Amino acid sequence: MSDDYLWDRRGADPEVARLEALLGGLAHDAPLAPLPERPRRRAWWIGGAAVALAAAAAIALVVTRGAGSSANGCAGGAGFAFRADGETRCQGGVAARGVLPVGGWLETAPGATAAVTIADIGALTLAGDSRLGLTATGSGEHRLALTRGTLTAEVVAPPRLFVIDTPGATAVDLGCAYELAVLPDGRTRLTVTGGVVELGAHGRTAFVTVGHTVTTAPGRGPGTPVAFDAAPALKAAVERVDRGEAGALAEVVAAAGPGDTLTLWNLLANAAPAERPAILATLDELFPRPEWILADDVVAGRPEVIAALRDVLTSGVWLAPDALPPPPPPSAPPSAPPPAGTWR
Amino acid sequence: MPTLEVAAGPAHGRAVVAAATDASVAELVVAAQGGHRGAFATLYERFHRAVHAVALARVGPSDAGDVVQDVFARAWRKLGDVRDPAAFPGWLMTMARHRAIDRARARGPVIEAGPDRGAPPPPTAEAAAALAAIRALPEAYRETLLMRLVEGLTGPEIALRTGLTPDSVRVNLHRGMKLLRERLDGGTP
Repeated sequence: MSDDYLWDRRGADPEVARLEALLGGLAHDAPLAPLPERPRRRAWWIGGAAVALAAAAAIALVVTRGAGSSANGCAGGAGFAFRADGETRCQGGVAARGVLPVGGWLETAPGATAAVTIADIGALTLAGDSRLGLTATGSGEHRLALTRGTLTAEVVAPPRLFVIDTPGATAVDLGCAYELAVLPDGRTRLTVTGGVVELGAHGRTAFVTVGHTVTTAPGRGPGTPVAFDAAPALKAAVERVDRGEAGALAEVVAAAGPGDTLTLWNLLANAAPAERPAILATLDELFPRPEWILADDVVAGRPEVIAALRDVLTSGVWLAPDALPPPPPPSAPPSAPPPAGTWR
Repeated sequence: MPTLEVAAGPAHGRAVVAAATDASVAELVVAAQGGHRGAFATLYERFHRAVHAVALARVGPSDAGDVVQDVFARAWRKLGDVRDPAAFPGWLMTMARHRAIDRARARGPVIEAGPDRGAPPPPTAEAAAALAAIRALPEAYRETLLMRLVEGLTGPEIALRTGLTPDSVRVNLHRGMKLLRERLDGGTP
């Protein structure tokens, strides 16, 4: 059947028309609610300057207060403003608020938290018993280093502008909200609650969309992302795949369901040529592949084609399930890290 | 309001003059950044249904309406953050997804498919079943199908409002509708 009616209402498609009639009553037709007052800006550059001045004034205010409240080493220069709840040290000095300078460190005591403004693109919360450094900030990149503990970040910015390094990996924001944790055993765990994040290390990259989590380890690349609500059998099989156990991939392929396509794509992107046909066959069953993405190209491992398949899989996906399953608890005990040299 | 007050340059002038007619999105954004409420209202008229579909992909109908108003109130306050006015559609959709996710998380997990807690029931059981079937589709298809079947936007209109390419929208509609037909025919919405 032609898709003309579905595309632009040319021709006829009784089933689509019936669904339109059925669902059209849910369409949004409310008027815009009254808008709050907002300072008017006479031109974008004037407004930009005003925002910059306001930001500078805010930072200066925070710096001044920080200096007055014993924010040792955190009272000047460019940086990210923070406000602490509980015992927090900036550059070693106790500080309730201040500015985390480039090259500086913020450390929270157990039970404390610190709210940190990420330039003008978002904010993060540093959990207790955590250590966060500011490596760089500028129009091209905002880069932090999490060496201990956990943070949650929410960013609205162009992709790749916000980066966090951990001892085991680098998380690159592609427009998202996520939790990043350095586990007690040194591994890094990324849990994405909105949008997409790339986690990379040692030449290996995991592409992680909302509703998925992935773990990595120092000295090794990231493992394979799995959905929060993936079946336990699939999660266990993925862990075995990441440890390099023979036969585990077949278990993942057999156990995968419609919610596991992102897991399969990551496996596909990192699989050996002989393993790709089985992964692709299951992926095709779960998520119809556009005709213009040829199976032979995928099996051959053409990077641009595999990337195109990912883009189709995640098209429009900043995409959360209707009701996002709860992410893994922060205190979940990590399973044993894989032995060295067995990453696929 | 004397609208020309915000027209500090040629670009603003064009946007203000054209706001009520056929201004481009970028022109409207520039004018709205300058404080022009009429331009922002026109942006609302063009985008509110797409934002509603993004919300409806994640939350129930009553919450989706709240998300729309919340998104546009935030957009009004934060419009100055948009450095490239042409990027407004993607910026707005990203904000809508974040706000809808927040709303869904505030509601708590709903394990079983069906009407959302606290939301009025959809018009008919059949409509509820169709909506549930769409919301059970792979993530990539939900938003575009909701924009098309619920909000009444055509494929080209969806592309303009989301920043996706027309080809991507067409693929999403085609594949999503194929899956939807299968699931509705199979009685497993």
